[in-house]
Amino acid sequence: MRKGKRIELTEEGKTYLKKGLPERNLVKLLNSSPQKSLSIENARKKVGNFPIALKWVLEKGWVEKKAGKLTLIKLPRKTEEEKALKNIEQGKEVDGEILKILISRNLVLRITETYIKTEEAIKKAGNVIGELTHDIIITGLWKGRKFKPVNIKAVKKFDELKIAPGKRHPYNYFLMQVRKKMVELGFQEMTGPMIETEFWNFDALYQPQNHPARDWSSTYSLKHPKYGKLPSKKIVNNVKAAHENGWKTGSTGWGYKWGEKKASKLMPRAHDTAITPRYLAKGVKIPGRYFNMVRCFRPDVIDPTHGVEFIQTGGIVVAKDIDFRHLLGLLKQFVNVIAGVEEVKFYTDYYPFTEPSVQISGKHPDLGWVELAGAGIFRTELTEPLGIKEPVIAWGFGIDRLAMHSLNIRDIRFLFSRKLEWLRQQKVVR
Amino acid sequence: MPTIEVSYSDLCELIGKEIPIEKLKQHILFAKAEIDAVNGDLLKIDSKDTNRPDLWSAEGIARELRGRLTDDKGLPEYKIEKSNVIVKVDEKVSKFRPLTVCAVAKNLKMNKTSLSQLIQLQEKVSGTFGRGRNEVAIGVYDLSKIKSPITYTTAKLDKKFVPLDFEEELTIKEILEKHPKGKEFGHLVKGFKEIPIFIDSAGEVLSIPPIINSNHTGKVTEDTREVFIECSGFDFKFLMPALNVIAAALIDRGAKVESVKVVYGKKPIHTPDFTPKKTSVDVDFVNKVSGLNLSAKDVAKLLEQARYKTSVKGRKIELFYPAYRQDIMHQRDVVEDVIISYGYNKIEPEIISKKTKGRINDLEIFCEGIAKKMVKLGFQEILSYTLTNKDFLFNRMNLKEEKIVEIENPISVNWNVFRNWLLPSLMEFFSHNQHVNYPQKIFEIGDVILIDMKKETKTKDVRKVSAAIADSRISYSDLASLLDALLSNLHVNYELKKSKHPSFIDGRAVDVIMNNKRIGFIGEIHPIVLKNWKLEMPVVAFEINLDEL
Repeated sequence: MRKGKRIELTEEGKTYLKKGLPERNLVKLLNSSPQKSLSIENARKKVGNFPIALKWVLEKGWVEKKAGKLTLIKLPRKTEEEKALKNIEQGKEVDGEILKILISRNLVLRITETYIKTEEAIKKAGNVIGELTHDIIITGLWKGRKFKPVNIKAVKKFDELKIAPGKRHPYNYFLMQVRKKMVELGFQEMTGPMIETEFWNFDALYQPQNHPARDWSSTYSLKHPKYGKLPSKKIVNNVKAAHENGWKTGSTGWGYKWGEKKASKLMPRAHDTAITPRYLAKGVKIPGRYFNMVRCFRPDVIDPTHGVEFIQTGGIVVAKDIDFRHLLGLLKQFVNVIAGVEEVKFYTDYYPFTEPSVQISGKHPDLGWVELAGAGIFRTELTEPLGIKEPVIAWGFGIDRLAMHSLNIRDIRFLFSRKLEWLRQQKVVR
Repeated sequence: MPTIEVSYSDLCELIGKEIPIEKLKQHILFAKAEIDAVNGDLLKIDSKDTNRPDLWSAEGIARELRGRLTDDKGLPEYKIEKSNVIVKVDEKVSKFRPLTVCAVAKNLKMNKTSLSQLIQLQEKVSGTFGRGRNEVAIGVYDLSKIKSPITYTTAKLDKKFVPLDFEEELTIKEILEKHPKGKEFGHLVKGFKEIPIFIDSAGEVLSIPPIINSNHTGKVTEDTREVFIECSGFDFKFLMPALNVIAAALIDRGAKVESVKVVYGKKPIHTPDFTPKKTSVDVDFVNKVSGLNLSAKDVAKLLEQARYKTSVKGRKIELFYPAYRQDIMHQRDVVEDVIISYGYNKIEPEIISKKTKGRINDLEIFCEGIAKKMVKLGFQEILSYTLTNKDFLFNRMNLKEEKIVEIENPISVNWNVFRNWLLPSLMEFFSHNQHVNYPQKIFEIGDVILIDMKKETKTKDVRKVSAAIADSRISYSDLASLLDALLSNLHVNYELKKSKHPSFIDGRAVDVIMNNKRIGFIGEIHPIVLKNWKLEMPVVAFEINLDEL
């Protein structure tokens, strides 16, 4: 026995040592009965701790149980447990396995320093258990003792400002939910660089070089670096021809002299559609559905509805034989899945890169009628120079407005809020 | 998308019948417009097509709606007689603003509404369609005060005249410096040695395009009975339709428009020219793009409502359309007119049956995983702009300036460069939340932009994660174990190596190395940096390049 550790009989152990273990008492009773047999009912009345006694006599194979009767098979000799109880009382060593059984039967206690300390503490506290500790559990000192009930009124109100759990940013969380809905609708995500050449941001989208949207005041330009590289000669020449004379598309084109230098100017991506022509030029799967969700930049005067930087989502569907009716169908499906809108109205719209174009408004459950998305079928002057023969439906979704509604904010700048208190109070699940 | 103001009663009068406002809201879609607001008699109208200036006035909208709501269908006819007004174009303008087209309008019966429509149309056409007066500048003058022939020539900067709404003479130089229009449009003539000018045969100045009219001839009021109109610029493709848009609007109000002989050298042209433009459309193509099943007769009828003149030739329809339109480049432009005329909301939407498999970008999925782990480690996610300024990225972080991606035309000095690292965004966040309870544990996952001259765009977007803790007592090891929790979870074998970084305390800056490559850093922020951000709590932070993991 190691220092500081000894073993002792429990009160129960001491009783059994004197009066015999319950299983011993049961076999003794049977042995003195006629035919060494007795009904369970009678035995229960005569033997203390009968369930324990029964468990052990059956487990050890001393007794047979049949049709409500117990019959002694053989009277056992003195068992290891009985010997051990005696030895423990006399301070002698006992076998480890037997000790374990005795401890588990609560006949023997391991008195450690922890046991003594814990027992003292419990006694000090009026022999009731307040906080249930690791020590109380391993010493088993909880057995037979009362637990102090909790004071249900002593709960401090959860204050998120003081106890701040980690949280996702609500806007990021919202955007991921939208991404997942896009995937449900069969869309694959596209990405592209934040700094683009004007070629991909405008020219490849058939936006003429003198278009007002390409004005100094409508888009950012870069001080450094200033110019990027244009793609292959073939694509550049096709796009140039489409702008100047319509190329082979049956269009007149915009009819002006297209310049490479302007096209190679770098700019922060001004709209998410800038990503699309790169994918079209690389080759897309047909049928294919693609979406993007990216940051865009415009020198807008900052106000509650305009930020210097914002997130747009949009995409394309390429397939043989799709037409304007499919475009309307797609938009209707979108606003239903993403904004929960059932009732819709279509309006005319204009983009330099789509014809026909359309805008969809929907009756939002909370907001009433709102503009939700703009879309169209890409102009042939755009698709054919990039090597696409099939019709391409293009759409863009007003995601920030929906996010603002979902997060219950009125100012778009708040989507990028720097208020920690606000973030800590946001409802973000999962 | 130009926004215009129109009088409801005036619009109904131009259409020729009273239309209840609710009905008008629906019908106006056929003029590619939407009523944004109704304020008594005043309608705020959002005109959708930046390429259809003919629809940016009450006259234009009414003309389009008459095609649907009245018997006035098909091609609107404009008969133009010749006036005796002549404009001589001096060779000298060719270097500055080479072209002009002109017209004369007589029998005007103007009132407050029609005058304001004329002014609004002139502003929208030259502003939006005319690219801020660069491609098209428009002048309207009181013809009774002008003596033909008019010369379009150039003048030196010391030439004097009384500009519109002024009482005294100014030199052109003074106009460019002092007059509000001079300040607004002066950049269009920047560096010009001489300025284009219209002068009549009595030597009276009409205007210096594209800046300002003279007060004498260039003032048009409700009492003006006849006007001279000129459009100046560089390309007839812009100028002709612009002039036609103005002329058609005046004719629609009962004016008599006459042409002006504009003489280039020995070659005279007569403007405006209202000869209809010709094109054609295949019925099968219409049905292919629209998804409708229309007969040639249906298509022709719809196009007549959209103010085309049609003649059906089998499956093909030959078309004439008004000279004020310049937006038709391809058959599909005609198709849209067919669909609009048919009515967008009458079309049955159809679901695309072909199934495809959706997928989120791998990088986004990876970042989502990182974000979730950071949240579990007790961090609050933040979201910042990629646009910032050099003071935040360098000076406040105790760093020397580097070449980074910089905006040429920022709207604010606060947002004029793209961030090349994330940590300053977190420091800025702390600086806005000084009085919020500590500890403050924040992280951001986001892109930074680095210069990379080998790339097509000379730049490279890099996805990073940065985390920081501000608390009254916090040290390197507190955060280092959280970083370890993150990286071990990702099965990243990394080493830590002492390093030097001016943003961190000497001896407390540590590089995070993976496969002999620096993938990030961690350390305790230097008190100088804390002071720069006006922070009073110690901060520990790390930043890891996620593209390297």
